[in-house]
Amino acid sequence: MPDSYLVHVAGAMRSYYKDFSKYAKGREPSQKVAWVTSFTPIEILDALDIEYIYPESYAAVIAASGLEQPLLEESSRQFLSCDCCSYSCCFEGCVETGKGPRGVPPKPDVLIATNNQCNTLPGWWNILAKRYNVPLIVLDYPGEFTEDPIARAYVEKQHKEFVVKMEELSGNKLDENELAKRVENSIASVAAWKRVCACLKDREVPPTLLFDNINFLITARCKEETALIYNLMADEMETYPECDKSLTPLFWIGYPLWYHKDRYLTEVMDGFRVCGSNYITWWNLDYEGDSVWDKLFSAYNNTFLNLSQKTKTDRLSALIEASGAKCAVTCRNKSCKCDYVSAKNVGIPQAELEVDMIDREYLDVERAGKLMAILKETIS
Amino acid sequence: MKILSMSGFVPEQICDTVRFTGFDGSERLSHYCGYASDFISQVREDGSIDGAVFPKSCDSSRSIGSYIDDTGKFIYPIPVPAVRNAESVAYFADILKDYKTKIEQHYGVSISEEDIKARDAVISVRNEKIAAAYGMLKELSYASYIREVHASLNAPYEFDESRISKGDDGKPVFLIGSFLAGTGLADAFEKAGLKVVADNMPESGRLASRAGSVPSETDIYKKIASEILCTRPSPTQDLFDETIKSDLEEIRSKGCRGVIFATQKYCEPYDYLFSVYKKALDEQGIPALQVQMTDSTDGNGKASALEAFADII
Repeated sequence: MPDSYLVHVAGAMRSYYKDFSKYAKGREPSQKVAWVTSFTPIEILDALDIEYIYPESYAAVIAASGLEQPLLEESSRQFLSCDCCSYSCCFEGCVETGKGPRGVPPKPDVLIATNNQCNTLPGWWNILAKRYNVPLIVLDYPGEFTEDPIARAYVEKQHKEFVVKMEELSGNKLDENELAKRVENSIASVAAWKRVCACLKDREVPPTLLFDNINFLITARCKEETALIYNLMADEMETYPECDKSLTPLFWIGYPLWYHKDRYLTEVMDGFRVCGSNYITWWNLDYEGDSVWDKLFSAYNNTFLNLSQKTKTDRLSALIEASGAKCAVTCRNKSCKCDYVSAKNVGIPQAELEVDMIDREYLDVERAGKLMAILKETIS
Repeated sequence: MKILSMSGFVPEQICDTVRFTGFDGSERLSHYCGYASDFISQVREDGSIDGAVFPKSCDSSRSIGSYIDDTGKFIYPIPVPAVRNAESVAYFADILKDYKTKIEQHYGVSISEEDIKARDAVISVRNEKIAAAYGMLKELSYASYIREVHASLNAPYEFDESRISKGDDGKPVFLIGSFLAGTGLADAFEKAGLKVVADNMPESGRLASRAGSVPSETDIYKKIASEILCTRPSPTQDLFDETIKSDLEEIRSKGCRGVIFATQKYCEPYDYLFSVYKKALDEQGIPALQVQMTDSTDGNGKASALEAFADII
C-alpha cells in the first residue's frame, strides 16, 4: 500500500497539540514554550529545541470548530474592542475562559511577535505579555520600506541577539549546522507546497484541502516531515481527474473563512471554480542568499504584506495570470487592514465581499450572492 | 516643497513639512482609521500638497502608501523601529539620512548638516516651551494650550505661552489618546467641567518629554533618532507596561480623578492598549471614559458622555 500523506498529517498534528491542556492533563511541557506570530523565524527556535505555538492558527481552529462566538463576546467583556483583529479577540476569549476545542495551549515562557505581516500582532502580544507576565520580544522587519543594506544589517543584528536570548531561555547553545539544516527543511517544505498549490489550477482539488493543509507550512515549515507530507500530497493530487473546465475559473483573494465548512463561500459560487488563492502562497518564503543569516533575512523581511504596493501588485498579478482566472473574489477582511489593498489594480473583474475570517456573523450572505451574480453577468 | 506629514515620528529637523491636523476629505475606507483616511484625502485632493511622509507604525499608516502611490507626489513611509535600543536608534538614524537624501533627490535641494542642526535648535526651544507649559496645565485652558501646540507644529515652530488663556477650575483628569485633531473635544471637556491637568498625547505629553532628553549625543541624526524613539513611548512602540506604569504615576502625582481615553475609531494600537489600561485603572479605582472620534474633524457630540463622566468622578 502506498504511503499516504494522511498518516503523516496525523502524526504532525499529535506532535503539535501534545502539550495543549486537553491532552497534557496537567503535565508540564518538557521544553521551553514560545508563543509566536506566524512569520517568526522558527528555524532558530527549533534548532534550540524550543516548542513554538501559534495563537493565530488556534483562533482559526476555534472558528472551524464553531466555538468562536462566545469567545468573541468574552473578549468584549475584557475591554478588547471588536474592531480589533478577530484572531486576537477569539484567542483572548479562549485563554480567559480556558475553553477551546483542544483546551488551551501550554503557558508561554516567552512571547515573540514580528511586524512583517502587520502591526496588530505586536499590540496583541503586548496584552498577552500583561496576562502571563513573561518577556515579550518584538522582531522588527522593515520590509521593502527600507533599502537593502540598511535593513539587512539591522535584521541580522536582531536575529543574532534573538539567538542569544533564546540560548539563555533554553539553556542550549545554537549549532549553526543545525540551524542551516532547519532552513534547508523550510526550503524543501516551500518547494513541496508549491507542487501542491500547482494542482489547484487544473485538477479536481477542493480548495478546502489547501486552505486547511497550509497549516503545516505555517506551524512546522522547518520540520523534516513537512516536505514529506506535501510531496506525498502532491503525488496524490497530480493523479486527480481534470477539473471541470466549463466552470469559470476564479481567484480567491484574501483569507479563508475559517468558520465556514469549506473555508470559502461555496453557497454563492455556482458556476465558478477556485483556481488560485494568494493566501496559500503567503508562506512560500524566499530563503535567498549564501549564509544562513542572509537566508533568514530574505525570508522574513520580504514577506508578502511587508512589500511595497508595486511589488504586491506585480506578484498578485503574476499569480492570477498563472492560475488562468477570469475573475476574482476579493475579501475585504475587517480584521486585516494590510490585506485590504492587496487586490489593487489586478486587472480582472472582482466581487468585493465584506467578510471576517473568524466572525461568521459579520458576512451578509444574501448581499454576497448578489455581488457574485453581478460578477457572473459582468464576465458573461 | 510642501510635504504633508503625519505623526510625531516624522523628524521635523530635516525639512519643513505641513503637519497634518485635519481635512474634510472624500476618502472613506471601511474599517480603517478616519484620521489616516483624511490624510490620504488631503494628499490626493489638495493640489498644493506635493508630497507625503508618514510612519509605518500601525496597520492604517503602513498601508497609506498603497492608497497614494498613483499621485506622482513625493512619498516617504518612515519605517519606525518597533523596538527601542541602541541598534534601533542607529538604524533609525540611517533612515533619517535616507529620508534627507530622498528629499534632496526629489526636490533638487541640498540640506546640510548645519541646516539640520539649526532647525534642531529651533525645535528644541519649541519643545522646552511646550514642556514648561505642560507643567503648568493646572492653571491653563487645555483647549487653548492644545491649539497653541498645534500651531507650533508648523514653521516657524513658535510656541508662545502668552497666547494661552488661563483656565477655569474643573475636575482634574488625565487624557490619553491619538492626535487631538478635533480640538473641539478639548472645548467639550471644559464645558463639562473637566480639567485636563496631564496627558499622554503625541503632540503634548510625549513631545514635552523630548525637551533636553539627549544632550550628550554628538551625531545629529542619532540625537534626533534617540529623541523620537527613546522618550515617552507611543503605543505603537510595544511598551504597554512602561506606558501604564508611568501614566499611573503621573495620574497619582497630579491628583487626577479620572482618565479620558480619546482615540480614533479603528485605531488598533490604542484599542489593544485600552484593554489592559482599563484593567489597571479599575484595579486602582480610577474611573475611565473612552471617547472615539470617527475622523480628523470629529470633535463634537460627546457632551452628554463627558457630563455623565464628570458627574461620576
